[in-house]
Amino acid sequence: MSHGDAFVPQRYILAEFPTPDGLLEGTRKMREKGWKGLDTHTPYPVHGIEAALGLGRPAIPKIVLAGGLAGAFLGYSMMYFMNVVDFPINIGNRPPHSVPAFIPITFELAILLGGSSAFFGSLLALFKLPQPYHPLFESANFQRASVDSYFLSVEVPVGKRPEDIMDDARLVGATNVEVVEESER
Amino acid sequence: MSASAHAHSPGPQDPLDPRPFIEGQQTDKSLNDNLLDHVWRGPGKGWWACFSIALALLSCLAVTLGYTLYKGIGAWGNNIPVAWAFDIINFVWWIGIGHAGTLISAILLLFQQKWRTSINRFAEAMTLFAVMCALIFPIFHTGRPWFAAYWLFPYPSIQGIWPQFKSPLVWDVFAVSTYFTISLLFWFLGLIPDLAALRDSSQSKKARFVYGLLAMGWRSSGRHWAEYKWAYLLLAGLSTPLVLSVHTIVSFDFATSINPGWHTTIFPPYFVAGAIFSGFAMVVTWLIPARQFLGLKHVVTMRHIENMAKVMLATGMMVSYGYIMEHFVAWYSGNRYEYDMFFKVRWQGPFAPVFWLMAFCNVVVPQIFWWKRFRTSLVVVWIASLLINVGMWCERFNIIVTSLHRDFLPGSWGTYSPTWVDIGLFTGTIGLFSTLFLLFLKFLPAVAVQEIKELRHEAEHEAHAAPAGASGGAH
Repeated sequence: MSHGDAFVPQRYILAEFPTPDGLLEGTRKMREKGWKGLDTHTPYPVHGIEAALGLGRPAIPKIVLAGGLAGAFLGYSMMYFMNVVDFPINIGNRPPHSVPAFIPITFELAILLGGSSAFFGSLLALFKLPQPYHPLFESANFQRASVDSYFLSVEVPVGKRPEDIMDDARLVGATNVEVVEESER
Repeated sequence: MSASAHAHSPGPQDPLDPRPFIEGQQTDKSLNDNLLDHVWRGPGKGWWACFSIALALLSCLAVTLGYTLYKGIGAWGNNIPVAWAFDIINFVWWIGIGHAGTLISAILLLFQQKWRTSINRFAEAMTLFAVMCALIFPIFHTGRPWFAAYWLFPYPSIQGIWPQFKSPLVWDVFAVSTYFTISLLFWFLGLIPDLAALRDSSQSKKARFVYGLLAMGWRSSGRHWAEYKWAYLLLAGLSTPLVLSVHTIVSFDFATSINPGWHTTIFPPYFVAGAIFSGFAMVVTWLIPARQFLGLKHVVTMRHIENMAKVMLATGMMVSYGYIMEHFVAWYSGNRYEYDMFFKVRWQGPFAPVFWLMAFCNVVVPQIFWWKRFRTSLVVVWIASLLINVGMWCERFNIIVTSLHRDFLPGSWGTYSPTWVDIGLFTGTIGLFSTLFLLFLKFLPAVAVQEIKELRHEAEHEAHAAPAGASGGAH
């Protein structure tokens, strides 16, 4: 085991609040106190959490719009290239470029790429999942975040004392506050 | 006031129907425990009994599919003039069954029908398995499925030819594969928070590892939830036109041809209504026993069953309207062939019993749901749902086989009877569906736990908000 000086463990403050409303209130106050790197951990999306965390407009609608438009464009141009440019076939003397007949697949591919970008755009691009390890998982308490508890996590900035954050968290209503430290693997 | 009597019942107050969606006093923890309990509990005797029957039926599928591959599709009963028969009947039937899942998960979400929360996971899983069963038929009816990609998907082959995109059959390929993919993503996206809950409440190391792998490191983050809610809503918004388009395109397979009985403009809406009708029937067929055995009676209440009966009544009426319109247009058009198809061949021809069975199951049976007494009787609703499943299968038989066996020229008339392979394949897909569904019920939460917790929280808020104005609001 060589403890090189390269590894600086990331530390978090994990503060538990008794109710979702308490969490909203506490998160807002912590943010107003100037703490950065806040995140909440709740079993379901608590209404108003975006405002409490001070988040802007969600990014996913634009990603989905781009995916949908790309799907429609790809679908239509694929059919145009294949049935009009590359290998036109006369079927029932209908024109090779038959707009109504190209609509269903254009639509389906718009949905396919739009829907896939909602899924992959959120999970992979925005959430950076899969991420099997996160320092917060070090806390045994944190297992209740997906079950029935309301947590606020604060990233401890380099050079700051975790105690300051902990005191502030208690002041804004957290009942159970702990320091979580990343483990070296 | 009656409102105060319900102030503690955890369910949004609907002035027309004050019954709660979640029964009993529940907390996040108790919901987490009792909704995941059936995953942690070992499978009971009932589960094993059902599972062995399902496996036996599944083996029918293995045998008949193997025989089909060995012999070729000549092993099936269809031949000119009835070139489509059990394969396409079963395809349309299964796809239709899948549609209820998307309706419940997407359309009812957009309409803010909160009761959907208890049944959407269940119904979405059904969609996936039904579409898998459906896909078997078009893939195998190509005869050599390993070549199917060649005429279905546009890939640059050495011959330089491409699919013919003016054909509804090619639209079908894109519609159904998109439908399967999007349904899978939608289902899995909804499942991730529950997989995390399973990971975090698991006792054994193995369960923790497997559910942890599937949950992909979800840490219930507020920053994630903010985007997640939108991603979920957008997928619902995309699934809604998608589900309508899928059965519309399936109906185009028939409606764009000139066969008497197929060449009708009412097909797309009537197919979509029929799909939702049969899908709800299938959901009810499975939900009534499942809520009993999985201990879900407090979240899948009589109110849910009654709502589903109402949807079956409404869609059943739409389907009935479709039947009436088909007949009206056949008469009103003055077209001899259309007239004969509807009033002679279907009513009196060799397959007339199928027609009348369909009319009984799809038109007469749902009418009992006008009475609350029957809507709230589990036995009645369950038997009616079985009959509707039968009726919708008969409808597809009626459209496909009955229309094909009497063409314009008497010289090209023929008849149809299924072989044992046809029957075995159909039974086998029921086995496949049941097997997958039972595995789902064993290993994954049958209701969306995360959404139920949210619903409970909302209800609690409403219950607290109501008396707060009068009594000055205690915290």
